[in-house]
Amino acid sequence: MKTDTQKPDKKPPGVFSLLKPYMGLVSLLLLFALISNGVNLWLPKIIASGIDDYTKQHFVFSDIIKKFSLAVLVIFIFSYLQTIIQTYASERVARDLRQKLADKISRQSHAFIEKANPSKLLTNLTADVDSIKLFVSQALVSIVSSLFIIIGASILLFTINWKLALAVIAIIPIIGGTFFYVLKNVRALFIKSRGVIDQLNKVINESILGAALIRVINSQQLEYNKFLEANTEAKQYGLKILGFFAGLIPIVTFTANLAALTILMMGGHFVINGSMTLGSFAAFNSYLSLLIFPIFILGFMSNLIAQASASFTRISVVLDAPDMVDAGTLKETLRGEVELKDVSLVYGQKPALKNVSFSVAAGSKIAIIGPTAAGKTQLLYLLTNLINPTSGYVHYDGRSIESYNSESFHSQVGFVFQDSIIFNMSIRENIAFSDTVTDESLEKAIETAELRDFIDNLPEKLNTIVSERGSSLSGGQKQRIMLARALAVNPKVLLLDDFTARVDTNTEKKILSNIQKNYPGLTLISVTQKIASVEHYDQILLLTQGEIVARGVHDELMQTSPDYVQIFNSQQSTSNYEHGAAH
Amino acid sequence: MNYDLNKLSQAQQKTSTLAGLKKLLQLIAHEKKILLLALLAILTNSSLNLLGPLVIGHTIDTYVQHKDYSGVIHNATILLCMYLLALFTSYSQTKLMGSVSQRMLFTLRNSIFNKLQQLPVGFFNQNKAGDLISRVNNDTDKLNQFFSQSLMQFIGNISIMVGAGVFLLLIKFELGVATLAPAVLILVLTLVLSPWIKRKNAQNLKSVGGMSSEIQESLHNFKVIIAFNRRDYFRKRFETANRDNYKTAIGSGLANNVFIPVYGLFASIAQLIVLAFGIYLITIGQFSIGLLVSYLSYSTNFYNPLRQLAALWTNFQLAMAGWDRISQILSLETDLPVMENGISEQNAALLEFRNVHFGYNDDQEILHNISFKLEQGKTYALVGPTGGGKTTTASLIARLYDPSKGLVMLDGRDIRTYSLEERTQKIGFILQEPFLFTGTVKDNILYGNDLYKDHSNEQLEKVIIDANLGSLLAIFESGLETQVLSSGDSISLGQKQLIAFMRAVLRNPQILILDEATANIDTITEQLLSDILNKLPDTTTRVIIAHRLNTIENADEIFFVNSGEVSRAGSLNDAMDMLLQGKRVS
Repeated sequence: MKTDTQKPDKKPPGVFSLLKPYMGLVSLLLLFALISNGVNLWLPKIIASGIDDYTKQHFVFSDIIKKFSLAVLVIFIFSYLQTIIQTYASERVARDLRQKLADKISRQSHAFIEKANPSKLLTNLTADVDSIKLFVSQALVSIVSSLFIIIGASILLFTINWKLALAVIAIIPIIGGTFFYVLKNVRALFIKSRGVIDQLNKVINESILGAALIRVINSQQLEYNKFLEANTEAKQYGLKILGFFAGLIPIVTFTANLAALTILMMGGHFVINGSMTLGSFAAFNSYLSLLIFPIFILGFMSNLIAQASASFTRISVVLDAPDMVDAGTLKETLRGEVELKDVSLVYGQKPALKNVSFSVAAGSKIAIIGPTAAGKTQLLYLLTNLINPTSGYVHYDGRSIESYNSESFHSQVGFVFQDSIIFNMSIRENIAFSDTVTDESLEKAIETAELRDFIDNLPEKLNTIVSERGSSLSGGQKQRIMLARALAVNPKVLLLDDFTARVDTNTEKKILSNIQKNYPGLTLISVTQKIASVEHYDQILLLTQGEIVARGVHDELMQTSPDYVQIFNSQQSTSNYEHGAAH
Repeated sequence: MNYDLNKLSQAQQKTSTLAGLKKLLQLIAHEKKILLLALLAILTNSSLNLLGPLVIGHTIDTYVQHKDYSGVIHNATILLCMYLLALFTSYSQTKLMGSVSQRMLFTLRNSIFNKLQQLPVGFFNQNKAGDLISRVNNDTDKLNQFFSQSLMQFIGNISIMVGAGVFLLLIKFELGVATLAPAVLILVLTLVLSPWIKRKNAQNLKSVGGMSSEIQESLHNFKVIIAFNRRDYFRKRFETANRDNYKTAIGSGLANNVFIPVYGLFASIAQLIVLAFGIYLITIGQFSIGLLVSYLSYSTNFYNPLRQLAALWTNFQLAMAGWDRISQILSLETDLPVMENGISEQNAALLEFRNVHFGYNDDQEILHNISFKLEQGKTYALVGPTGGGKTTTASLIARLYDPSKGLVMLDGRDIRTYSLEERTQKIGFILQEPFLFTGTVKDNILYGNDLYKDHSNEQLEKVIIDANLGSLLAIFESGLETQVLSSGDSISLGQKQLIAFMRAVLRNPQILILDEATANIDTITEQLLSDILNKLPDTTTRVIIAHRLNTIENADEIFFVNSGEVSRAGSLNDAMDMLLQGKRVS
């Protein structure tokens, strides 16, 4: 938090800075908009001169038609071109911005994503980009052409009759002031109502993701009440905002009407005393209606700009985040020696790991056991460089984990996560998730994970699409797919996070012996609950509340560690059966 | 039943805009009185607005041209009164219509959410969460924008347009017809192009939905992307989705903007007609300069709103495309209706499967002809290889799905005859994937629990200790007040499972199902859980699915579930043998 406030005086570049790379398109856009609007201003003049010519009895019909048609045609062509460019420009800005954001995100660390919150990043990539798109597609052109029309029409009014023009233009500050007042209030309300909508969305999201639980507990009504509360609040804000707008439009219209009244009274007076022609009088009326609309637009667009700026600020926070330094250059093949030295990890305020040290010889097997929330998963995250230790270091083959090129490193270290993470794509893609996977290693991974039968029974074999949260697969199938994914890179080091939890004992045994056979020399680091599966491991660590409280091989631990014995005993009653089954 | 919205949308015949609108309007059918009042305000307001130019034209003809300034003042006074009245009517039209549309949006949101709550688990499994969230959030937001901003302008503009049209025809019929002729062309063009525009927008909405579910999936599983070094893959997949979205967005953008210049063109042509034809009429003595000035105003009054309508029409089409996607959800019905009370059998088992068949879809049957009985107070274990059908069996006990054939009987009655409340009261189910709501541990333990919801922390702690759950609560650093997040790694999977366990036990169900509910909990804590389970009231039936055998050693009976069949294992040894011999067919 504190790091964010360190440079408050440096003003971030505004939303306009986004447009720099599109200067060509934008200038073309503005040029076309100005041409069509400029010619539009000319139209009342043509009409006025027509009326005047008629009253002066030298009216040339074909002449006025020619001028008018020409003007209309020019307006049409240029406004058409303008809409096309507008669409391309805004969509391109949006696309490039999204891509830039995605690229940036894709280079970030796990910690960054968790801290930035995936849902917020999703909003950055969708809603925030959309509001910038709206700014480019609507606000930009509207503002420039509105200003152009207001200034142009004002000048033309002055050339016709400056006294009357002054009276008419007096309405601009009145209308502007009203807009300013209303929008200032409305904006505050908008921010609050946005908060309520976020709350609404949160309720919706949780009710979708937790759908099964809600049905098991029958808490639909509860969820509905939560939603109803937020929705009622949203309605109230909506009505408040409405109140302001309901007042704004009549006042602005009334002011504009007063201007029309002024034209009638003053203009009528001028026409009667002969200081103004009837045509000019008509033109004044036309210009008034030309003038009002842009003022409205400017008012509403100022809102769009405010929204776009807010969105751009949020996006900039992500874009300006420092890149993860990937200083690692080593691309050596790993032997598989792992060492942790005095590693501590602090999450927020609470220590997750305290001075953890251990080393694993290449090709050996180590198990980490311990109670829930002991810090086991964090330990594995450290070993895969997903998070960095607060102090201490992690070495692979005697060199710091950070000195390895991350691409080369990750293609040699396989990680089976505890939670089921299955992507909404084919089983082949889910397993051959890294692009270095050959067909041969894919097959080997499938065999090892005992997935062969399962895949062969699927309608489209490897090409079967599995759904997002993997709900069409059983828990064990998901775990085995994730194992195959980790094995498919032909790792030198394999990290298992509670892999055995969802796989039955029989399958687990087969899989572990498959790994021995198919991946000889693999260093295996396994977080597990089951002592029986790891009794023969080279080393067992007992981790409790972030500290290693005992270490050694099984027999040693049975002699030295009462905690270990307690865990062993808690599993003892049935491990007989497992032994019986294994032999 | 098919709940896949993307497949549904392909099968569904295209609903016309009108039919969609009609359905939407049903939501405000009960507000007739206010709508009438609003209509009155709108009509008064637009006639006042429209009379203005006529009065001005009259003033020019009768007073300005005849140099009668007192007449000008007289008419100006009338105008001022009209404008003041319009100030009032304009306010009430916005206020009335706006509040109707706010209430409509409110009702709409409620009915969508209500529908989401009614639909069964199958619906959520068949649709991507990201797509659903996009539908409910983005698409209602599109409707929201339309109702809170565009609708009022829409109605206001239409009333002004109609009024101006009427005046144009009344003042001089031939000239009126000529002035309105371009509008007919516009109307035809609009009608012809609308379906195309709507289609383009629907395509775009779909690719937006696809893109957000892509992002959602990748961001939530980012650690896998990092650990497998697939950042490039994320980029590539996003790039494809982004490019796809760009393409459809350009398509819909061009379609949406096509009218704006066309409308402008026709408006200018109409002015030209007024000017040329009007002056001609004046030369033959059938028209006056004053009327020509007001006529030009009216034609602007007619065509300017039309131009705005073109822009609003886009919003309207966007809203309707969103509404289409939402009504797809609204049109779904749950396939788990509660049936009329059936016959209650005497002396029946607590729960019985009778020749149950089941498949998640029609092509693949998961459970084949399963029959078994569960007695009150006993502990049952379901064992078997992964993918054998254990979770599916448990889901049928909890009626997350109905069998495709056969019956599930609860206490001698078809489970389908129980009300939701009664059924969920009897059956507790700890799911394989624990789900937590953002909040505190207390919020989550008490989630959906009416009995203890008003308890203070002290009272609740006492309840927890009485239920033998105190040792579990102690694992959480700040006890009941420990903060948890719905997503992310704020607490470990094992801790999530503990919360889910406490939540289910405190509900005191007759049947408690644990679907690998303790898989990620260490064995010592698990022993605590096992003690807690043993101390549950004698009447509680426990159904335990687990891979760890020590979890099931105390079971009274063991069922072996494999290849969609359930057989009874005499003892734990039998079960072990079956597990070893059982060929895994998934």
